[in-house]
Amino acid sequence: MSGSPIKVVVGKPGLDGHDRGAKVVARTLVEAGMEVVYLGLRQTPESIVAAALEEDADVIGLSVLSGAHMTHFKRVRALMEEKGLGDRLLTGGGIIPTKDQETLAALGVGKLFGPGDDPDAIVDYIREWIREHPREDAV
Amino acid sequence: MAQGTTPIESPETEPGRDFTTVSGREVKPVYSEADIAPDDLGANLPLPGEYPYTRGIHPSMYRGKLWTMRQFAGMGTAEQTNERFRFLLSRGQTGLSTAFDNPTLYGWDSDHPLSEGEVGKTGVAMDSLQDMERLFDSIPLDQVSTSMTINAPAAWIFTMFLANAERRGIPFEKLRGTLQNDILKEYIAQKEWIFPPAPHMRIITDLFSFCAEHVPQWNTISISGYHIREAGATAAQELAFTLQDGFTYVEHALAAGMSIDDFAPRLSFFFNSHLDFFEEIAKLRAARRIWARHMKERYGAKNPRSWLCRFHVQTAGCSLTAQQPEVNIVRTALEALAGVLGGCQSLHTNSMDEALALPSDKAVEIALRTQQVIAFESGAANVADPLGGSYFIERLTRDLEDEAEAYFAQIEAMGGMIQAIEKGFPQQELTRAAYEYQRALSDKRKIIVGVNEFVNENEELLIPILEIDESVERDQIAAVKKLRETRDNIAVSRELDALERAARTHANLVPHMLDCSRAYATEGEITQTLIKVFGEFREQSFF
Amino acid sequence: MGTDNVRIDDLSNLSAGVSPALAEGLWTSFWDGDRRACARLITKVENEPNSIPGIRERLADRLGHAIRIGVTGPPGVGKSTLCSAIALGLADRQHRVGVIAVDPSSPFTGGAFMGDRVRMDKFVGDDRIFMRSLASREGRGGLSPSTPYVADVIEAFGMDRILIETVGVGQAELDVMNTADLVVLVLQPITGDAIQSMKAGIIEAADLIVVNKSDLPGADTVLQSLRFVYSLGSAKSGKAPPLLAVSAQQTEGIEELVDTLEQLSTSIIQSGRHQELRQQRLVEEIKSGIVDELWQRYLRQSDAERVIENAAKHLAASGGSAYKFVREMCSNIQLTVDPKANA
Repeated sequence: MSGSPIKVVVGKPGLDGHDRGAKVVARTLVEAGMEVVYLGLRQTPESIVAAALEEDADVIGLSVLSGAHMTHFKRVRALMEEKGLGDRLLTGGGIIPTKDQETLAALGVGKLFGPGDDPDAIVDYIREWIREHPREDAV
Repeated sequence: MAQGTTPIESPETEPGRDFTTVSGREVKPVYSEADIAPDDLGANLPLPGEYPYTRGIHPSMYRGKLWTMRQFAGMGTAEQTNERFRFLLSRGQTGLSTAFDNPTLYGWDSDHPLSEGEVGKTGVAMDSLQDMERLFDSIPLDQVSTSMTINAPAAWIFTMFLANAERRGIPFEKLRGTLQNDILKEYIAQKEWIFPPAPHMRIITDLFSFCAEHVPQWNTISISGYHIREAGATAAQELAFTLQDGFTYVEHALAAGMSIDDFAPRLSFFFNSHLDFFEEIAKLRAARRIWARHMKERYGAKNPRSWLCRFHVQTAGCSLTAQQPEVNIVRTALEALAGVLGGCQSLHTNSMDEALALPSDKAVEIALRTQQVIAFESGAANVADPLGGSYFIERLTRDLEDEAEAYFAQIEAMGGMIQAIEKGFPQQELTRAAYEYQRALSDKRKIIVGVNEFVNENEELLIPILEIDESVERDQIAAVKKLRETRDNIAVSRELDALERAARTHANLVPHMLDCSRAYATEGEITQTLIKVFGEFREQSFF
Repeated sequence: MGTDNVRIDDLSNLSAGVSPALAEGLWTSFWDGDRRACARLITKVENEPNSIPGIRERLADRLGHAIRIGVTGPPGVGKSTLCSAIALGLADRQHRVGVIAVDPSSPFTGGAFMGDRVRMDKFVGDDRIFMRSLASREGRGGLSPSTPYVADVIEAFGMDRILIETVGVGQAELDVMNTADLVVLVLQPITGDAIQSMKAGIIEAADLIVVNKSDLPGADTVLQSLRFVYSLGSAKSGKAPPLLAVSAQQTEGIEELVDTLEQLSTSIIQSGRHQELRQQRLVEEIKSGIVDELWQRYLRQSDAERVIENAAKHLAASGGSAYKFVREMCSNIQLTVDPKANA
């Protein structure tokens, strides 16, 4: 991997206005040198994946504190596959019980973070994932 | 500051320790007479129950009446929440507090496409009067006070509550409770809005006016700092933005022609109680003092009840950790004690598992028991404002008051709170504070036990986790669809049309909303009718 | 991933001319209208300046018809929301629209926060519109250096109207003037003072001025002061751009704005101005291309870095003109291109 910034699309799907975490993480990613496309609130899985496609994002990060994480993560992951973005990382955070995290991991969703997790750990995780999963033309 | 400070002879401190509050405020090793102004122990500090109420709103405080133990509850269907309500009442809870699900909070029906996956998840689904009937089935609404945490569509959810009381033959005058109804903090912090600010402010003012006449015991608004704090504010920002929101509601009601003493006694507040014990106590004391002064001196309220800053306190959800969740019981107990020592009128204690899921019965019970221990075992409720006169507390109280006043001046210079919100000022202040706090945690300048220090690497989760059955959404959608088939749809259209016409005039909208609710119009139908007239607010994302 | 889809990473080594078959696959997807391929090609242009000449050669046949519309103005005037409305308006008039939103990169971390999509979510999933956020990267606060080439990719993808939105402070204002066929300057009532503080030239360069949120108090004052500025300016240049007002909720003024943009587009095409601007940009491109090319050759041919360093050391110690040194150095460079060869 050379010096080109990692591009991350950050959004909040569904009806959930709690954007403190999404904003703190977005800012942490920018401070870590990433390019963050912030989509904001009330996104649908369709709008998130369409944006990630046009932005050629390396990573999609979702924040869900509404309890609807199963619905949203599953749908976004399925759409990513459908639109040819299956090789990108889907990660995120919220109040997501471990059991649900395991179910989602089996569907190809990456690591999910929760309250108390250090945003720097998200930076490390994304960098590590990108290192281990280079898109072959990644520059 | 005019007055001096305690000299520190030998600042002996362990290396690497941090001596700032959760809000990043520097505190000194010790406080003495040198740190306080004469007024701090004089004019600012009369007995509890005396203006400006620094020490509490009642002379006897909790001897006369304990705070209301009010646990916020709601999940799944109306029947499930009704069951939880009855469980809490049977365990000694003294008031009800309703959590609605996200579609309800945004004014949408359960079968709206964007409601998918959200129905009944973080609160009870409420589509129409039908759900309200089920929610409060067998609960004596004339005896138990009821709080409803809802904002953007608060007025038309409240009219469903009124229509239900009416059907059960309970007169409006006997209803007691609180509607959160605070839209300004939605723009600042929680982001659950429908319209632009102006129509929301109109509806809120309409509700003040309607309740002053018809539902006199109802708290028409709960001006909330809680969410502002959860979104990252410091204690001073929470205090300042909340009270400034309060002034804004007062000014709108005055501009609508109401007189201050007609509505001010029914204004109530809702604050957060975070981890920093003394700073939180000082914040609550400062809130009472500032509100009393502004109401009396600035807005000319004559009725002493208009001067009172009465408030609910909830312990800080954002202080809960997913790691070693049992430790959250301790955090919540300290935060709750700060709320009590700060003189709250009602209190919610968070459950230990809320960083993991919605609370289980077990966790909710322990949270309630925590309040009961404070009330009945600790002795904290025996004496009013037991920390009054402490050099440290009085100095902190005054500092917070000064900081809030500085924010008021800054916001007034922008043209008021609505203009400040449109500029993104409070939003940016919060975002910055949240980031700073997170950096302090990442850099371990601040320690959270079990999270960035004293981590239990091999932790096993030993508490039960509540799961919401996915069938809730299907059932709720089926119910609302069936309702639309079986109700008198001609009446529904007639009332919605009347509401739309009224919205285009300056008429009070609450009676029309009540007519719609009586006819079993759904929440989403009322919302969509009003959107036709008022438009929708779009996110302004400020960093 | 569907088996009929060519993998997006087929673009590898395109600029180096290696694996042409794979690259052809991606080009095929691109010409077939695969938005993913377009997105990937843009990334390539952004991340690999060396790939630009090769990519532009492939695109050349498809370029020249689109109108590039720069949208600039002070921060907070509502450019993103306005661009969103313009894009939809143009799409409804049978155009295919590209939107490029440029946000500043942090000079310290290289990261960038790009929030334009928050206000541009009305057309997500709309095939008539392709939107891309760009970080300014080394554009020193102005447009990203790759912006014109990103516009080329989007144009070749089939978009005939391309909006380029940038925060109108400092360098970006000037950059957008050099990149766009039409410049829309967006102002709002409360930023009346901003008119004074804007970079000299942008007011004169604007082809259209929009006073956004015109229902807020102060709109008349802004309109008046703009008319005053132009009454002075038009005496000299004979040109005063249209002034339009758009309300905050954008219920009023948008249709007129889009119509005006259409008229301006038609007029610069018919008058030959569009062609002239394109030609000017090509002149600039050729010039800077020659500079780059010669510099690269110079570096390859000599021990240039060391020679320059020594010369500087000498000049710093003993005084003397750098230009003398430059003249001497250049007189030694042999241009291998025979000027007659192009005649």
